[in-house]
Amino acid sequence: MPRSALATVRSRTLFAPLDAAGRAEAVARRLVQAITLGLLLDGECLPAESELASQFGVSPVTLREALAMLRVMGLVETRRGRQGGSFIRAPDQLPATHLEPQLRLLSVLELRDIGDHRAAVAGAAAQLASQRALDSDVHTLREHVGRLRGATSLTERRRTDARIHIEIAAAAQSPRLTRQEMSLWSEVGDLIWLPVTGDQVAAVTAEHEALVDAIGQGNPDRARQLAERHVLAETERLIELRLGMDTP
Amino acid sequence: MSQLTDRGTALLDGLTRRIGQVLSRVEEIGAAAESITGAARAAGRELRRADFAGVRPLAASLLREQAGLVAGAGVVLAPGVAADAPRAIEWWWADAGSRISQLHVDTDARSGEGYDYTTTEWYREPERTGRPAVAGPYVDFICTREYTFTLAVPLHSAGQFLGVAGADILAGQVERLVLPGLADLGRVAVLATGRGRVIASNTASILPGTVLRGPHLPAGLVPVAGPDEGSPVPGLLPWTLLSTS
Repeated sequence: MPRSALATVRSRTLFAPLDAAGRAEAVARRLVQAITLGLLLDGECLPAESELASQFGVSPVTLREALAMLRVMGLVETRRGRQGGSFIRAPDQLPATHLEPQLRLLSVLELRDIGDHRAAVAGAAAQLASQRALDSDVHTLREHVGRLRGATSLTERRRTDARIHIEIAAAAQSPRLTRQEMSLWSEVGDLIWLPVTGDQVAAVTAEHEALVDAIGQGNPDRARQLAERHVLAETERLIELRLGMDTP
Repeated sequence: MSQLTDRGTALLDGLTRRIGQVLSRVEEIGAAAESITGAARAAGRELRRADFAGVRPLAASLLREQAGLVAGAGVVLAPGVAADAPRAIEWWWADAGSRISQLHVDTDARSGEGYDYTTTEWYREPERTGRPAVAGPYVDFICTREYTFTLAVPLHSAGQFLGVAGADILAGQVERLVLPGLADLGRVAVLATGRGRVIASNTASILPGTVLRGPHLPAGLVPVAGPDEGSPVPGLLPWTLLSTS
């Protein structure tokens, strides 16, 4: 490749404006998360566009783009005039209807990549936990699986599930894997139980039981394989749900 | 063998004295918490979480004095002790800039999702035995987010168990304290907890965090020094030094 062409490629990839690559989606995702988590309440007025743009570190154009996405989802309403501004619209709804917009902001590519990352972390954690867990660690894991079995809401399932995976990484005696699980779960944890319905709830719960059994039996290969399969199945369900959103 | 035992015992004694310094500061925190409770009860007043803010200066001075070794300190109350919170953690930690912050943990029992500390080793052991305990090492995903020991002493008022006072001790720092001594022994040497969890070793073939058992117990490794009555603080560290005899 001639030198000048290489320089062009380099400047394009290194110095491409951040706004270009999904910045608006990222801002929209953060706002939807804040609404889902109840940090932004129904009727609340957002700060002025210029102020919000500088808080996110994006241009006003990008911010307006993000707000337009939220408007389409019905999560933001913009009024003109002296009493005008952008207002949060988050009436009480089923959690699922809050979460779907969050899923819509993720591309299939991103979902696949998050799934790959989760499978790598969960697989390694399960393998090491099966080698390093004491009986007391396995006992704790079984208690949480019992809680998952008794969970009655999506929120409870999501939080107990997160706890199980974080405890597995802790049983692996790895602070780094534990922190990875914590950040992955706070990033996408809300979505994981979204596509799980009907009979699937019992089946996914049983996957956790089998995984904890493999850890308790000290079977590293099986523990890794079960953890990876479990995460990949979750990823597949999320991708199917995401694809369905674009099917007319 | 007996010379090895003497050197191993000296190593454990040194470590016990060092952690004993932390213990005496944690006991001061515990005594303050007990007297706060006693005073409120003598006055016929309900105990509130805010009453325990009185232990903050002691926790802060422990964090400053033992910076590097101790990463968090405070008081954890038994369920129902504070009238305004079913469970309560009054705990402080120091960041890299030595600024002291209070730890905020969701301990809401009603939802069944809050952090239930009553099942942890560092809470259960002092409750069960009525004596100080060093729990761990474990990955502490609540406070330090590091591989940690928690030293905890039980709190009592009028014969009732109130909870524990404690301090988080970083496992990496304990390793730094013992590695020179392990290296000096001149042969494979491993420090492990009473449950067989490796704390530190002087060989890359036996890693911290692994468990010495069955196929993982390297041949020729035997206990050479362990918890004994002659220790500077008997019963504080239920740890064993293993080596090749």
